[in-house]
Parts: sequence; C-alpha cells; structure tokens
Amino acid sequence: MELAIRTEHLTKIYSQRLIAVNDMNLEVPQGAVFGLLGPNGAGKTTTLRLLLGLQRPSAGQAEVFGKSCGPGAVGVRSQIGYLPTNPKLPGNLRPIEYLDLVGKLSRLPRQVRKPRISALLRAVGLLGATEQQIQTFSTGMCTRLGIAAALVGDPPLLLWDEPTAGLDPSARRFTLDLIRELGKTKTVVVATHILSDIDQICDHIGVMHEGRMIFAGSMQDMKRYLRKDDFTLELEGEDGDIQRLAQEAAKLDGLDARIGAGDTLVVGIADGRSRSGALAEVLKLVDAGNVSLQAIHSGHNATENAYLQLLQEDEAHGFGR
Amino acid sequence: MDSADKISKLGTRMMPFLAILQQDLGTLWASRLVRLWLAATGLLTFLLVAANWTQFQDAPLIASILFPYLVFPWFLVVVVLGVSPVSGSRAEALADGILSRPVGRCEYLLATWSARVLVVLSVYLVVVVPAILVVTLAKRPVREDLVTVYGIVSALFVVGLVLTFLVSLGFLVGALLRKPLLAVVVLIFVWYPISLILSIFSLEQFSPVSLSRAVSTQLRQSWRQSEDEAKAAGTMQDMEQFSEQFGNLLSRLSGAPAKPKASKGDFFETKKFEDFSLFRVTLGYGLPSLAAVTLATLCFYWRDL
Repeated sequence: MELAIRTEHLTKIYSQRLIAVNDMNLEVPQGAVFGLLGPNGAGKTTTLRLLLGLQRPSAGQAEVFGKSCGPGAVGVRSQIGYLPTNPKLPGNLRPIEYLDLVGKLSRLPRQVRKPRISALLRAVGLLGATEQQIQTFSTGMCTRLGIAAALVGDPPLLLWDEPTAGLDPSARRFTLDLIRELGKTKTVVVATHILSDIDQICDHIGVMHEGRMIFAGSMQDMKRYLRKDDFTLELEGEDGDIQRLAQEAAKLDGLDARIGAGDTLVVGIADGRSRSGALAEVLKLVDAGNVSLQAIHSGHNATENAYLQLLQEDEAHGFGR
Repeated sequence: MDSADKISKLGTRMMPFLAILQQDLGTLWASRLVRLWLAATGLLTFLLVAANWTQFQDAPLIASILFPYLVFPWFLVVVVLGVSPVSGSRAEALADGILSRPVGRCEYLLATWSARVLVVLSVYLVVVVPAILVVTLAKRPVREDLVTVYGIVSALFVVGLVLTFLVSLGFLVGALLRKPLLAVVVLIFVWYPISLILSIFSLEQFSPVSLSRAVSTQLRQSWRQSEDEAKAAGTMQDMEQFSEQFGNLLSRLSGAPAKPKASKGDFFETKKFEDFSLFRVTLGYGLPSLAAVTLATLCFYWRDL
C-alpha cells in the first residue's frame, strides 16, 4: 500500500506548556478519503499545519509522498491543496486576481493558469461573482473560493480543515459532493468534528483525542467498535408491560435485553447469533405483548456511537493511555 | 540549454517572489498610511522650501529637505511599514494564504522587504527629487552655491540607505517581537537616542544627526574631488577606520577596554565634515541592513505559524 501521509511519533508541544499532538503515528493510503475526526482542541488543525510545514514538530517526523515536511519543504507543499477553516482571503482582490496570485505562487505558467482559473470558478459556482471584491463575499462564497484556491495547483493531496464550517445546507451539500468527486482521483484529508460529514464521504478515518490518535483505520473497522448488533426499540405502553417484555426477551437464547431511557428496550445480540432471527423473535414478543412499537433504531451504522465509545474508552484507560 | 530556456526557467523560479512583490506593492500603495505619508511629506517639503526660499543657499536648503527623512519624523512611518509583514494578525493570514502554498519563507520575506523598501524609496524620491530640481534650477535671491550632481546623487543615496536600514530594522524587530505595537515602541526607544548610543561606541559619524549635518558639505563635493581624495587617502584608510570602529564596537560590547585613540578625527573637530566617507557610510548602514534582513529571515524560518 502506497502512502500519501506517514507520521512517526509526531509530537507538538507549544511553549513547553500545551501538548497539541502527542506521539502520533498515522498512515493515510494514497487515494483514500480520510476523515480526521476529533473534538475541538484535539489537535487536528495542528496536525495539518505540521504536514504543511507551517509549524515544526517538537519530536517525530511527518512525510508526504515520502518527502519530509518542514518550513523549507516547498516540494511537499506543491503536492498539497490546503483549505483552512473559514479562509482569510485578501479582501481587496477579486476572485480572478486572487486565484491568479495563488497560481503564480504555485509556479503555473500563464497558459495553464488562466484556463484552470476559469474552469475552477465555474466548478465552484462563482462565475457570477467575479466582479465583486472578496470582502463582500459571504462565508459560503469564501469557502468556495478557498476550495478553488486549493485546487489551482491540481495537487494530488488535499488537506481541508473544517470545510463545512459555517455553511448553509446547500453549500454544505455542494462541498460534500465535491469532496466525494475529488476523492475519485485524489487523496483527501478532511479534518472535522461533524460526524455526519465523515459518515457520508470518508472511507478511512482517524480519531484524535487530546492530541493522540486513538483510532485509525477503515470506516468498517471503525463501526466494528460499536457495541455490536444492538437494537433499540421505542415502545408505547405501561411500564409493567415493557418490563415484562424485557424479561421475556432476556430469556431468549443469545439475547440481552434491558430497559433504556424513555420507554425504550435495548436489545444486545451475542456474537454468532443471527441479527434478523433475533429481531424477528423480539418483534414476535412485542406483537404478543400489550405494547405498541413506535420505532426501531439499529446501532450498526451509527458512527457517532462508535466515536463516542472510542472517546469514552480512551478516557477510561487512564494511565494506560 | 539555450538562453531562452534559461530565462524561462528563471522566470518560473522567480514567479512566486514577483507575485508576492506585486501583491504587496499594490496593498501598500492602497494603504492609508502610505497615501497620508506621501501627502504629508509633500506638504512638509513644500513648506520647508517655501519658508527658506530666500534665506538658504542650495546646499543647506536641500539638507533641510532631507532632514525629516534622516532624523524626524518620517522614521516613524518607515519603521511602522517595516514592522507589519510578519507580525500580529497578518502572520496568521499569510500562513493560510501564502505560506501554505509552495513558497519558501525566505522568498516571502525578501519579497515583502523589497516591496517596503521600494515603496519607502519611491515616496522619498517622488517628493525629494522634484524639490531638489526646483531648488537647484530656479533663480533665487540668494548667493550662488556649488552644489554638484555627484553631491546630490550621493546625498540621496545616503538618505535612501538610512531609510532602507530603518525598514530592515523594523523587519527584524517585527519578526522578533511578533506584536507590531510593541515592536514600534521598542524601535522608537532605540532610534531616538541613536546618536547617544553610537557615540558610546565611538561611531558618531554614522548617527542620523551627523549625517544630516554632513549632507551640506557632501552636496558640494564633485566626483573628481571625491576620486582624488579617495586616491590620496586611499580606500584602505576607510577600511582601516571602519575596522577600527568595528573593533571598538566589539570591545565595548564585550566589556574590554577600547584602544586609546591617538587623536580625535577632523570630522568632529572642525565641523566641516570634509572627511565624510561615502564608502564608510555605505558599509556602516549597508552591512547592518543585510544583517537585519538575514536575522529576520532566520528568526522567521524557525517560527511556528
């Protein structure tokens, strides 16, 4: 497997006080859409800035396409299209002027730069705003322009930091669709704390917590972290009837049932037990009992549960972390 | 490889530098600070010329025009311009917008430094050169003076060099301190008593006040005269004096006693400033400017953005 990004014991400590990235080992395969997930302050942005060479690691090293990252690694940055959170763009310029500047910074000759700028402005839907100064742009328009700027050099690796932050639903949809499309030809790393974004677009995921990478792997691996094969049944009925139902369900082979919050029955299915079979048996009990079924929730695809479980496990490990 | 290919490769290599330079020049020209400065310096120059039109000969009048650039108040504007590019909120914006692209930090710093030097020198020359032309070419009711073209060019060069040094110093302090306001305050406290500081190190002739007083004499120097003097005294003498002063500075800094001087130079005894050496001044301001830019680059290179 060829790697787009590799870090080894990457550590960043600010002013000997704050550990932003803590002994991080990360491997991002080429062609992956990698979601860097973590709560605010987990160290996602610092990791991206270390890869870009905007910051120096306190220890360890980072490589992009086999080249070492650092302030002098111009060759590495030419392979990266970076989109910062809420990009700060020069307000006195117009979109074409700004993209032309970025194209020149990427050393693109005019013959390549000009057509690419036109194509990108069309692709991000800013053709109608080319007369406006950037300072008049909304957050969504700035993000679109930032996306175009990240793509001007046609880099094979995209590092996008919170690309959907502050966007309205349509702009968010546009950005996610674009990432999905770009993921077909490029390696994309999306740092975010919005789980639904990751769920929709990523095939690989890394979960950061307090500067550490507590999980890295495919989405399938991530979902396996979830307490397996749980169902939650939302019920309506008397408390006693629901209690009785839980007791009967718990007697079934390979099932564990308990009452959850707000008239819900949480059913756990043991390894090796058929999910559909188990569900069918529980539903029969519901049907036979004096309760009515309002909804069934399956924990199987809930990335959020897996994510929260990872964070809880990391907290629970205490010194063992 | 033919020359066209070489030029093309050089052009591609220089593209980010030129792009940043062009962008920064545009931003600076559009800034209120530069526009106000241009207007203010134009007005002050006009007032100085008008007020002294019938009183001063050419040389002292030109020296009075150059005085605000050398001593007060324009150094304030120049250091503010020098401080800004790598400090304060701008640092974050430039990290996101420029330094996350395939641009070297050194490339960025040199481009922004060049833009500031160009803007400062342009404002200075745009105002001063026409004023000098008017002063020298107009018929005025004063005694004729012997101002030479060489004298004017060398005086303009000296002031330009001091301004370049100030931009570089601002650059260095801005890179070191990060907070623009603090950097400006520090620079004011350093530059105001600079004559006193230089005299402690026996470097009085490099102080802006001394240079300002020497300008009148320099303006009357001819190229031939200067060349003859150079031949007579030899550049070696300048070098010796420069190295002596440099050694003196180092010994003061290290706390060792300085070498006793046999006699004090004519420069300060006669007040005629006839031993003003362009070569020494060029070294005295040029080398520290280069050192300041180099240090700022090193400091910026090691900094986290």
